[in-house]
Amino acid sequence: MLAEYLTRGVKAGLVAGVVFGLFMAVVANPLVVYADEMNHAAADVDGGHEHESEAAHAHGDEGDHAHEDGSGHEHEDGSHGHEAGGHTDEGESHADGGEGHHDTAVSMAVNKAVSVVSGGLWAVLLGGAFFGIAFYFLEPAIPGAGAAKSYAMGLAGFVTVSGAPWLVLPPASPGAQQSLPVSTRIPLYAGMMVAGALTCLLAGYVYNRLRASNGRSVAIVGGLLPFGILAIPAVLAPTNTIQGALSPELRTGMTGLFVFGQVLVWLLLATTHAQLRSANTSQTDPSAASRGATLSAD
Amino acid sequence: MASTANTVHGRVEQARVELTPVQMAAGMLFVAALGYTLLFVQDPLVHDSMHNFRHAAGIACH
Repeated sequence: MLAEYLTRGVKAGLVAGVVFGLFMAVVANPLVVYADEMNHAAADVDGGHEHESEAAHAHGDEGDHAHEDGSGHEHEDGSHGHEAGGHTDEGESHADGGEGHHDTAVSMAVNKAVSVVSGGLWAVLLGGAFFGIAFYFLEPAIPGAGAAKSYAMGLAGFVTVSGAPWLVLPPASPGAQQSLPVSTRIPLYAGMMVAGALTCLLAGYVYNRLRASNGRSVAIVGGLLPFGILAIPAVLAPTNTIQGALSPELRTGMTGLFVFGQVLVWLLLATTHAQLRSANTSQTDPSAASRGATLSAD
Repeated sequence: MASTANTVHGRVEQARVELTPVQMAAGMLFVAALGYTLLFVQDPLVHDSMHNFRHAAGIACH
């Protein structure tokens, strides 16, 4: 039975993954590349080509980018080099728009291709973990009936994985410099994910308790209240200011687009999952109906 | 079968009955290996390869 649930979750993930992979390829990839180039071009002008300085670079300031050694883009031994000659060249490779224009360990083509595949696998992972395993165990406790359970799981998944963490750390536009170091942001993000998951469990618990005693509408209101608790850590958490060459409007637009992208993933996961569940139910219905008839006849 | 699993506790029990200890251990080990790999394989190749995706998913790091 667990295998059956897992299969259904992964199937839903595949459907959502195809769509999000397409979103990556058609929308996100070009946008992120463009935003990165804007930021790098601005850094070239503003920073006077000070690529080795910690401040002028979009990546590697604060010693982050997964390199906690504080060495910016020296990357220990320079092995983080790129096809176009690295970043010790006073920036001549920046505006070329070709491979290696962005200070990474991989070429732009690899970045784009891997990102598209990652987009697909991301949805498969979420589908398997949330709509497969978590749904199997939590199904009896998830509010609602039929398709509503799938949508409730989708909402809980979004709040846990993205919604709650974004209250503290909203999606940053590419190339933006953030005031909080990565060593602070990772536990903050993880902590908000835990807070989001606990809030969803609490909301489900409150709904079920009130549903039994006070009816549906009171239960819905009561179930929504726990989400207000998320405002507490969001207010208490340190502020992460974002700076970059992009205009605030563009930055807001990109953040909105990426939020929209994740909402779309969860919506597709939930919708597909609901469809697969109802298809499965209708398949098994005749036997269930005949069993019921037998029982009532008895 | 379904009637025994109508609570979260029932589901856990059902999984315990349906899965052999070896299957459960294998599953746990697989998840642990996956998590460990994802956690420590980050820099810089995999991390940078997923740069655009991480932005699109709102999991930016820099």
